[in-house]
Amino acid sequence: MASQILPLELIDRCIGSRLWVIMKNEREFVGTLLGFDDYVNIVLEDVIEYENTAQGQKKTKLAHTLLNGSNIAIASFRL
Amino acid sequence: MTDARAEPPTEVSPPPPPPPVQLTGSPTDFLKGVVGKRVKVRLVSGVDYQGVLSCLDGFMNIALEQTEEHVNGVVTNKYGDAFIRGNNVLYISALEAL
Amino acid sequence: MDVSGTGIQEPFDLIRLSLSERVFVKLRGDRELSGILHAYDGHMNLIMSDVEETIMIVDTESAMAGQGVVNVAKRKMEMLFVRGDSVILVSPPSRT
Repeated sequence: MASQILPLELIDRCIGSRLWVIMKNEREFVGTLLGFDDYVNIVLEDVIEYENTAQGQKKTKLAHTLLNGSNIAIASFRL
Repeated sequence: MTDARAEPPTEVSPPPPPPPVQLTGSPTDFLKGVVGKRVKVRLVSGVDYQGVLSCLDGFMNIALEQTEEHVNGVVTNKYGDAFIRGNNVLYISALEAL
Repeated sequence: MDVSGTGIQEPFDLIRLSLSERVFVKLRGDRELSGILHAYDGHMNLIMSDVEETIMIVDTESAMAGQGVVNVAKRKMEMLFVRGDSVILVSPPSRT
């Protein structure tokens, strides 16, 4: 057994709370976690997207959003 | 019939789950709910496609109708239909309530 | 789920219905193709004929100055195999 608790079980405990997702490419999302699957595709609501551009940081508000797991690097949360 | 596996005693079997009144929020449920709705599809490159989601598959390949391509907030193209290969997709965001 | 009565149940149906038609294809690396679609597979590998390729070449200096595309190169090819992993978008001819 690799560990007593699986990484995805921890994320599962975050459902309903705010999650900070850092993508592989200078892009971040903060939103309320609604759900996810085994590929770590993530569904968020009340989302803010942060983009780092040459003009500085750009914020975009999004409603219900599905993030493609293949671009996700890190998810940060509080338990 | 004596095979217990075929027909487990009723007192042991868990109660049937209540019918899902509301979708649970998993990616699959999100995708079921968002078909037919207006969505924004953002690619990894930063290009956006806004349109009505006709359908999608497990690779996140997407078919859109009445599609507008947005680059830096400017409409750069319009397509009646568009197939988007799933590996390019960063996110799918609903533009209307599910 | 057939939303608009067009017979599309999955994304690949859109491609299937475009066989033998002229399609527009957007590829990675700022390339665009317009040609007749002859074959495709699950990877989105494509065979196209009578293709016109458009390559956008952005001049980095003028891009810094906030200008748009500087150079557009075009060429024609009789028959093409397109590897699926570079495909971003396929748009069939309008069905309306």
